[in-house]
Amino acid sequence: MNDDEMLSTMRSSLTGIAESLTDVHLEQPVSTIHARARDHRLRRGLAGLAGVATAGLALSLGLALAAGGSSGASRAKAPGSIRTASFTLVSHHNGTATLTINTCSTASPPGMCMSNLDVLLDTTALQNDLQQDGIPALVTSGNFCSSDPAPAGFWQVVGGITDPKNIPKGQAVAFPPTITFNPAAIPAGTELSIGVLPPSSGRQVVAFGLIDANSHTCTSTTADQVAAVAPWSIDWGVGQGAP
Amino acid sequence: VEQQRREFSEFYAAAKDDCLRIVLVSVGDRHLAEDLVAEAFTRAWMSWPKMRNHPVPRAWVVRTALNVHVSWWRRRRRELPVETIASSPATWQPDSVNDALASAIRALPARQREVIVLRVFFDLDTEATAALLGISTGTVGVHLHRALGTLRTQIPSFLDQEVAR
Repeated sequence: MNDDEMLSTMRSSLTGIAESLTDVHLEQPVSTIHARARDHRLRRGLAGLAGVATAGLALSLGLALAAGGSSGASRAKAPGSIRTASFTLVSHHNGTATLTINTCSTASPPGMCMSNLDVLLDTTALQNDLQQDGIPALVTSGNFCSSDPAPAGFWQVVGGITDPKNIPKGQAVAFPPTITFNPAAIPAGTELSIGVLPPSSGRQVVAFGLIDANSHTCTSTTADQVAAVAPWSIDWGVGQGAP
Repeated sequence: VEQQRREFSEFYAAAKDDCLRIVLVSVGDRHLAEDLVAEAFTRAWMSWPKMRNHPVPRAWVVRTALNVHVSWWRRRRRELPVETIASSPATWQPDSVNDALASAIRALPARQREVIVLRVFFDLDTEATAALLGISTGTVGVHLHRALGTLRTQIPSFLDQEVAR
């Protein structure tokens, strides 16, 4: 009896055994699984916080978690991640959230990066997901919203950029780098503005800013014009390999 | 989020009993198998945004349960005296001619057992097994060959019986 024949014989016998166990059922309801997952996340978060405290690395990303006078727009939320084809949003126990825009996703053809993000990115989903993480945001496509004057405090809200050079060799390089939002630092009455702009001159741009929630204007903006209206933006080439 | 919750609930309802039975055959202890499978489903739910697109999610659950078993066994071996392990109750023994086969599979080294379970219960080919275990196809072949060699040695009567049928 060769290996294939033996496997076939075993398959017949073992699946017969398994199928004969008709009285064997996993009685736990799915709610038990959800509860176990919550416990896991809580333990993991506590362990992570302990590790951070021990290492003295707490929030070394430059985020002013204790910034006085912040709005407290954030709310407690269990950590978790939301992954879509065009972005990944991860919330952390310390209240921050990290956003990665999947410019070169596994869905992209080999050697090509995602273009037409202004069409592909679900701005409503991203806006809602940020909101769930306690981050008030206005996410637009083709437009960029700004206030004049722009509220102060943008750099306390956005930070935590992972330098691609620090990614271990062999690990997939994520670009653009992960962006960290600190909702606790968002001043009262303001919100983030995120504009996904149409490609221009072979560049795809996502612009970030802070706006007055009740007083702002949204204008059609191209990648070439973004520097004049947004305090910060990220861009990458489209139709080519990872930047 | 609600849609993912619904998807996972449907997957859980459809797969939990099958996964439990396979893990039970593989570990031989009903209570342990239930714990392992529940833990594996918990991990599946925690990774559901990624897991929902897995080509063979049931195989992932079973493989994760067996991995958890390895960790559990190592921890238990450190914590309990030998005689306590030897007298562990509630082991399940199938009362069929396949007793020897099930027992022999449970006695295989962890990786060999994983390969056998994935190949036998899920009918995965070498490439799919390698992808799921995160090892090369060559390594899958080596583990399979060694596992079958061991089983041939330990259960010749089973093979003779099957051939004679």
